[in-house]
Amino acid sequence: MPADGRCDAPRDGHERPRDAIDHPAGTTVSIRDSAHISAEVCVIGAGAGGAVAAAELAEGGMDVVVLEEGHWHDPDTFTARPPEMLAQLYRDGSQTITLGNPPILLPLGRGLGGTTLINSGTCFRTPARVLEHWQREFGLDVSEESLRPCFERVEEALSVGEVTPELAGANAEVARRGAAHLGWSHGYLRRNARGCVGSGVCAFGCPTSAKQHTGITYIPRAERAGARIVTGARVERVLLENGAASSLARANGVPVARGVQARMASGARVQVRAPIVIVAAGTIHTPLLLARSDLGAQSGQLGQNLSLHPATAVFARMEEIVDMAHGVPQSFYVDEFAGEGIIFEGVAGPPAYAAMSLPLTGARHAEAMADYRRLAQFGVMVSDSSRGSVQALAGRPLIRYDLTDADLRRFRTGLARMRELFEAAGAREVYLPLPDGVSPERARLRDLKLMAFHPLGTARADARPAHGVIDGELQVHGVRGVYVADGSAVPSSLGVNPQMTIMALATRLAFGLLGREVEGSQINEEAACHS
Amino acid sequence: MPTGSPSRGSLDTFIASAPTLQRAGMRALVALARRPRGATLLGRVPAAEQLAQVVTSLARYDDPELSRTLGWDGAAVVARGRALRRAEGRP
Ligand SMILES: Cc1cc2nc3c(=O)[nH]c(=O)nc-3n(C[C@H](O)[C@H](O)[C@H](O)COP(=O)(O)OP(=O)(O)OC[C@H]3O[C@@H](n4cnc5c(N)ncnc54)[C@H](O)[C@@H]3O)c2cc1C
Ligand code: SF4
Repeated sequence: MPADGRCDAPRDGHERPRDAIDHPAGTTVSIRDSAHISAEVCVIGAGAGGAVAAAELAEGGMDVVVLEEGHWHDPDTFTARPPEMLAQLYRDGSQTITLGNPPILLPLGRGLGGTTLINSGTCFRTPARVLEHWQREFGLDVSEESLRPCFERVEEALSVGEVTPELAGANAEVARRGAAHLGWSHGYLRRNARGCVGSGVCAFGCPTSAKQHTGITYIPRAERAGARIVTGARVERVLLENGAASSLARANGVPVARGVQARMASGARVQVRAPIVIVAAGTIHTPLLLARSDLGAQSGQLGQNLSLHPATAVFARMEEIVDMAHGVPQSFYVDEFAGEGIIFEGVAGPPAYAAMSLPLTGARHAEAMADYRRLAQFGVMVSDSSRGSVQALAGRPLIRYDLTDADLRRFRTGLARMRELFEAAGAREVYLPLPDGVSPERARLRDLKLMAFHPLGTARADARPAHGVIDGELQVHGVRGVYVADGSAVPSSLGVNPQMTIMALATRLAFGLLGREVEGSQINEEAACHS
Repeated sequence: MPTGSPSRGSLDTFIASAPTLQRAGMRALVALARRPRGATLLGRVPAAEQLAQVVTSLARYDDPELSRTLGWDGAAVVARGRALRRAEGRP
């Protein structure tokens, strides 16, 4: 029980305090006035990294407080209508944009579950070649073998299994047919879903609660194990014993975590006193929070090294009825060109979603949309060599990112091959996301219409203090007790979707803090398939 | 040609949730796109036309009636999801 914060009885369904937790486990921690809370661990952010770390630590017997800026999103409020859901579930209505050539839309989640609430559910382990690169380049002690128990544990917790062809739907079948015809390597994706019925709106709030996002898996576990979870709490600073890191460093002391200072949506102030602080506010917000706290800047790498996996999508008009939103939107991949840094993954959605991403205008747009039932769509994702940065401007993130020529070439190749894929599948017409008359081979940076879903690297791990913000144990260099457990810790582009990597690293951190070996899973992989 | 009219309520909610700069930009584009002369003007700047298209079509095709004619019944999807969730005791 917090010293001054209020722990109310389970909610009665009538009153719903805004600055409170209000989620399936049923307990309400509401903070209406300024409060002081003490705990052993304070976790900032309840997304992929934060929720996992909080649950493992609480179950391991530690006294944990989670502070999350967003709220619990009640699935009863999910309407499957994109404009409403973009406004409700995404930070800034999904309108986070990078500055650069070309600008890139970078949607982020906010609330219990963080971005896992609105992600597609695709689950990949970190590829072995990436882990080897991390060992060589960043001096990190990670390998397939050492991370295996972490992945097993996360996969079991989230019911990860391969999508069946029936659930994958006709959109995936179009891509499968094309890839098979061309002899390209492909397969059905593994996802964290349980009881999925292929309703096609993963990115707009799963109305079935089939997607096992961390807000309905790890967060309730954390709470059952005694963690206190405070929503609507924006952490402003990480606090250190005896003041700021820079002054202590100047005095040759080693700064030690004291806790955090947060502000509730109501304006109330909250201070959490905790000797261990785990920052998991996501790749865009973690570096800003560390910078506000005068932490992690010594290497010059804070806010740098931003990779994004920029992506675009191609539409095709098929002979057959596709009904792209009938089925799991991201259920199938083509990895024939993964070695070149190009991967194709399914994307799809209801008419409103398709209409906003269809790269046509005027009468052609209307005509293609009238045939929505025959539209297929697939995504091109690039494992980027480009690197951007994030810094604060008037309290908001200013994200800079320019695509390199090498990545532009990857998009040219990816778009040309995607057209080939659809043609091999029998498309009547292919709609590339390029201006009229521009072929993939001649596409310029400004011709590309890009989005990105996987920001990583802005507080990267590197064993050497001069090269990274955090060390191999994810502790901020030069400080005791402040750790990072989110996408910002991931030191390089992965080439695959990152949530499993982030969760596995958070698991490893939690067990490290508990001083225990990670217990993997005994579960039969086949039996884990619930999709 | 589809006949649905843009759903103003959801468009307004969507635009209101964006950061100040994007909000102002989207409002200006939508206002232009709604006027015949504005639409002609937009046609001369492909990037702006594409952006206006994104915003207005997001709202237009959110119309449940139009969606249903295109084979998508969002309300049925939600109702089924909620029923399954309750039946299986999910959060
Ligand atoms: C549309 C979409 C689809 C995706 N699909 C996939 C997929 O299929 N597979 C996959 O692997 N990945 C996918 N991703 C990416 C994946 O979801 C993210 O990489 C992952 O969730 C990032 O985890 P995180 O812990 O770094 O941050 P997040 O999950 O974003 O969590 C960060 C949390 O911190 C909170 N926060 C921020 N600042 C503060 C503060 N100051 N105080 C308190 N709280 C704060 C935020 O509100 C947020 O809830 C997708 C992303 C998007 C946008
Ligand atoms: S496809 Fe499955 S996981 Fe996605 S929203 Fe529908 S039921 Fe949920």
